[in-house]
Amino acid sequence: MSPLLVCLLLLKASATSFSGFTSLPVVRHDFVETRHLMTDRQLNAAMAAGRTAPGPNGLYLASVGYFVAGWPGACAGCVACLAPAFLIVPILHYLGRRAERPRVKSAIHAVMFATAGLVIEATVPLARDALTGWIPVAIAVASFFFLVLTQRATLWVIAGAALVGLLALR
Amino acid sequence: MTGVFVRVGNLTFGGGDPTMAALYSELVTSRRWLTPETYGLVYALARITPGTNVLAFCAGAAWELAGWAGALLAVLAAALPSAVCVVLLTVGYQAWKHNAVAMAAIAGTLAAAVGLMATSAWQLLAPSLATRDWRRIARALAVAGAAVWLPLRFGVTPVAVLGLAAVAGFLWQEPEP
Repeated sequence: MSPLLVCLLLLKASATSFSGFTSLPVVRHDFVETRHLMTDRQLNAAMAAGRTAPGPNGLYLASVGYFVAGWPGACAGCVACLAPAFLIVPILHYLGRRAERPRVKSAIHAVMFATAGLVIEATVPLARDALTGWIPVAIAVASFFFLVLTQRATLWVIAGAALVGLLALR
Repeated sequence: MTGVFVRVGNLTFGGGDPTMAALYSELVTSRRWLTPETYGLVYALARITPGTNVLAFCAGAAWELAGWAGALLAVLAAALPSAVCVVLLTVGYQAWKHNAVAMAAIAGTLAAAVGLMATSAWQLLAPSLATRDWRRIARALAVAGAAVWLPLRFGVTPVAVLGLAAVAGFLWQEPEP
């Protein structure tokens, strides 16, 4: 697949999201459901890579690009992740404090709630692929509560899950 | 300045908020490059900029300090080393996926990734649920519920759902706390 098309599709996902993994529903719709360019398992692995590495979670798009089109695809994913960041310059320059008006904030909050719904919907097929027994289910549930309740670094969750997998799923 | 963004951007785990907090102490408290007011404005606008918040924050803060060149350098500095790391992990996954021992460990991390996704959804809703204001909670759950229902029932695409949510949010204004 052409890296340019990968870049444009990922840019669509990244420019319609607010923060890290919230671009996932659009990515899944385009790459898994419509075009069948990757599997749910690969998308799940891309997210795990994005969370395991330090730095912004949104960089999982580089992993998605790699799965679809190798290193050129990874570069395309990287560009798609970075490009929308520069929109803040015109926003700062022209809107400044006006962007904090209640109606604008209200619309943005609604987009965030809708994103939560879309993320839940997109998680179901990923869960169906990854949660194949009670141990994976327990790992998923434990990861959720660990992150919500302790706010610790995700790296520890991923490392712990890998260790449990190694001991219990072999 | 680029050094600060390389260090904080790539060595902080856990995504946007811890990174932006670390940048506060670097840019405002110790170096006094930004005033707390400018930091606050850039922080607020980074949250409403599409894409990755923390990169928008780096672009905005660096633009205040050194213009477009600064913004470009800061974003590349904060993201490129991590991006290489992400791709190397992916290469590792591809290389090890036929090894039974490695796959057991990877299966564990994929299960954890499902929990992480649920956490992302929770983090988007939690601030509204924590207000204990039933009007705000009902509004948040109604919009999130509609976003689950519309694609399942009518096949609405995610981008269209987000557009509809923006219009709905603009018209149905969030109750003041």
